Amino acid sequence: MLWVDKYRPKTLDQVIVHQETAENLKKLVTEQDCPHLLFYGPSGSGKKTLIMALLRQIFGTSAEKVKVENRTWKIDAGSRTIDLELTTLSSTNHVELSPSDAGFQDRYIVQEIIKEMAKNRPIDTKGKKGYKVLVLNEVDKLSREAQHSLRRTMEKYSASCRLILCCNSSSKVTEAIRSRCLNVRINAPKEEQIVKVLEFIGKKEGLQLPPGFAARVADKSNRSLRRAILSFETCRVQQYPFSSNQAIPPMDWEEYVSEICSDIMREQSPKRLFQVRGKLYELLINCIPPEIILKKLLSELLKKLDEELKHEVCHWAAYYEHRMRMGQKAIFHLEAFVAKFMSIYKAFLIATFG
Amino acid sequence: MRKIRDTNLMILSSDDEDDCDYKPNSHRSYTKKPKSRSFITRTNPRQPKKPRVSGSRSRFSRDSPNLFEVGFPEEDFEELFSWSKVSADSGRSNVKELWVDKHKPHSLEELAVHKKKVEEVKSWFEERLKTTKGNLINNVVVINGKAGVGKSTTIQVIASHFGARLCEWNTPTPTIWQEHVHNTNTGIQYTSKLDEFVNFIEKIRKYGLIPSSSSEDAKPSIILLIDDLPMTNGRVAFERLQSCLLHLVRSTQLPTAILVSDYDEADSADHTARRLEQLQLSLENAGACKVSFNPITNNSIKKTLSRICRQEQCSVTDEQLDLIAKGSGGDIRHAITSLQLFCVKPDLVLNGSYSTPSYSYGKEDDIDALVSGISLLFGRDETLSLFHALGKFLHNKRETEVANAITPGDAFLVQENFSRLPLKMDAPEKVLCQAHGQARPVTDFLHENVLDFISDEAMDDAWHVSSYFSDSDLLLSSFRGMLARYNEAENVLQSAAASVAVRGVLFGNSHPSPPRWHAIRKPKLWQVEKSMLHNQKEIVRQRFIAYNGSSSCNVSDVATGYMPLLKWLEHRASGFEDNQALVYCNKTDGESCDRMGLDDKESDISDDEIEEW
Repeated sequence: MLWVDKYRPKTLDQVIVHQETAENLKKLVTEQDCPHLLFYGPSGSGKKTLIMALLRQIFGTSAEKVKVENRTWKIDAGSRTIDLELTTLSSTNHVELSPSDAGFQDRYIVQEIIKEMAKNRPIDTKGKKGYKVLVLNEVDKLSREAQHSLRRTMEKYSASCRLILCCNSSSKVTEAIRSRCLNVRINAPKEEQIVKVLEFIGKKEGLQLPPGFAARVADKSNRSLRRAILSFETCRVQQYPFSSNQAIPPMDWEEYVSEICSDIMREQSPKRLFQVRGKLYELLINCIPPEIILKKLLSELLKKLDEELKHEVCHWAAYYEHRMRMGQKAIFHLEAFVAKFMSIYKAFLIATFG
Repeated sequence: MRKIRDTNLMILSSDDEDDCDYKPNSHRSYTKKPKSRSFITRTNPRQPKKPRVSGSRSRFSRDSPNLFEVGFPEEDFEELFSWSKVSADSGRSNVKELWVDKHKPHSLEELAVHKKKVEEVKSWFEERLKTTKGNLINNVVVINGKAGVGKSTTIQVIASHFGARLCEWNTPTPTIWQEHVHNTNTGIQYTSKLDEFVNFIEKIRKYGLIPSSSSEDAKPSIILLIDDLPMTNGRVAFERLQSCLLHLVRSTQLPTAILVSDYDEADSADHTARRLEQLQLSLENAGACKVSFNPITNNSIKKTLSRICRQEQCSVTDEQLDLIAKGSGGDIRHAITSLQLFCVKPDLVLNGSYSTPSYSYGKEDDIDALVSGISLLFGRDETLSLFHALGKFLHNKRETEVANAITPGDAFLVQENFSRLPLKMDAPEKVLCQAHGQARPVTDFLHENVLDFISDEAMDDAWHVSSYFSDSDLLLSSFRGMLARYNEAENVLQSAAASVAVRGVLFGNSHPSPPRWHAIRKPKLWQVEKSMLHNQKEIVRQRFIAYNGSSSCNVSDVATGYMPLLKWLEHRASGFEDNQALVYCNKTDGESCDRMGLDDKESDISDDEIEEW
């Protein structure tokens, strides 16, 4: 088992990083009812961990007994029926799914599942009607229509189910949904906190940590706890006992992006653009999300860039990031950004060095 | 009574069929621009041709006693027989006969097909008919060519020239639904047309032909003609047809001609056309001799037309004949039918153009105007292959200097860096339309290839072009899924997107690289998307590894977080000291992507052609 999973806190009491939030959540559910919740925050900050712990807090250990189910929903959409297949994780009391897997038909998923859950509400021991919890992942990737229909179903069935939504950025969730949920922002953990977690794991594993080593891992992790633990484990496999100046292996795709970056800096021509395109394709094939590629690419470029260009380059990155979201094929926009950068940079070089 | 209804149905459906004959092959008609003239002469083959007439399908009739019908299973036969009578009757009672049938050539000299081709086919048959059977291994000739270039007629005329009996497979009329219902009610089993065909071929192959009237003494030699292969839908059916024909090629004793109609490049986006090609190739490999008929030249069409005019005693001016011939795009059947239509009602057709006072033959523009008027009635739609269109866009040929003709009213005043020289082509939208270009594939193709055509220095151009692609992608994706129902709106968006992409390429590429050889590649994007989907599915399956299966993980987290680590760990574990961190396994690489609408072979076309356009 990976350390990330092995040392994942199971209950709200065990959490190290977001203790305050955990306390609040605990208070919230001891009242035996909870509002709809919206967890948001950067990846690797512990949203899912908190959600799992929360579920356990509400339902006890039964929340941990889950089964993976591949289900097909038949949906009657006016003139035709649509078959939708989706993988869900469910226990007796909760269902978890990522509706955005269904692509643009996500709105049907949202409606159907909530309706179905509402139909068979569990009855708790006291004969009181209980509620089920529906965990929806990646809500920010839901289409606008799906979010609207989510809003309506949320109101209609609020008596029988609670929603826990989870996403990276709340700005892509409509106002209407946000206002119906209790928003819980999960910050990216501070580096000291990460160090604390790493030291905790080190102690449990019985490892000798050289001073400053955990701090370096945390520093490289970009404040993502998952990332930190994963690379910590990598280091362990790579070399133990640790040496204080041990290199922390970077992610392969990140290396690749910086390779692209230096390609771009070295030469600006349509031919080079074409080569860059090929490399971007490589990344896309491996399912690295285009937004992340663009972000990483920008930060790599900024490192090597002259002050005066930074503003303009950032502007264009933002511009094309927006278009990427609106558009369909990311490569067009990624490439347009690279082309724009090349064109700016080339003009700059010519102006500077003649 | 029932029978009559039946036969009516048959006639209807067969009429449809004849109509269809013209449709799928629409090639070049006539455009209005002066350039199109050279364009047409270029596409038309150089050889002069002889008259010819349509290859008729179910027209086994009094005209050609040599024709002889086999291959219809019993139940069809009756129907067909009665139908032929009815059609003959109605033909007589209704209107005059179609000229296409009436003026069928009866001798080799009358054929409009190029002499060399006729000679080639003739000598091929001669060889087979004269020598004793069994000497020659290959007894099959495959003739291909566009519709209306005289394939069937050539065979018929040659057969009658040798006094051979022509034994023809005509694809049975398709069963329409009412008919099928009727048949099942009366207890007749439905056999698929492919089954019928296969049975027929098997019979022929094994037993040869048993003459229907065995009392005949002097057995004439027999030529088997397979006109029009049955429709195959799906791979299985096609493979069956293919293997059946291969057997025929390998083992038949009769001289056999198989006719295959080519469809236009641009229309061949569907699989049928490609399959037909594949079929021809495999037949050829099996030893069949292949002869391609080119479209018939204007001169031979004109000759034929004027012969018909003489016989029909109608006066048509030379110029009009010329127009008809040009408008037909090498399809003589079409030309003759047009002529008939024209002679029925001459006023209807050319009135408009004649009444224009400025009309004169001296000026090219006027002719063009006339042509555009006529082409509505006569011409076939002009199509371009997608490749020609792409070539045009990518090469971005422009006039070398601004034509003076631009009147001040026309021209917007634009800054110098935004102004471009006039294009050496029709409006891009029109070219797109002729190429049947759909927005998505066109954009993808342009995106894949355009960078090759931008000169190395012009980075700004590259940006312009790619920013236009980005725009076009936005247009294409807006309301994806949402507007699927409102096709109108979707269409407008699509055409707008295509237009943006194409014009973006034309505008942006202001410093095209010097013209040289470029192969046009198939968009790699398609393959990338496919592998991406594949990998995504894999990841979705693996997402439960995290959290001990008690929760799922975002795809992006798995891809950016877990996968690299796992890969890395695996490498360490198996002792790989490969520091090339990127060892991407691209599993779907090998899989062919040729199902993606536009196919591989197109990337092989390329070179000269593109250069030329």
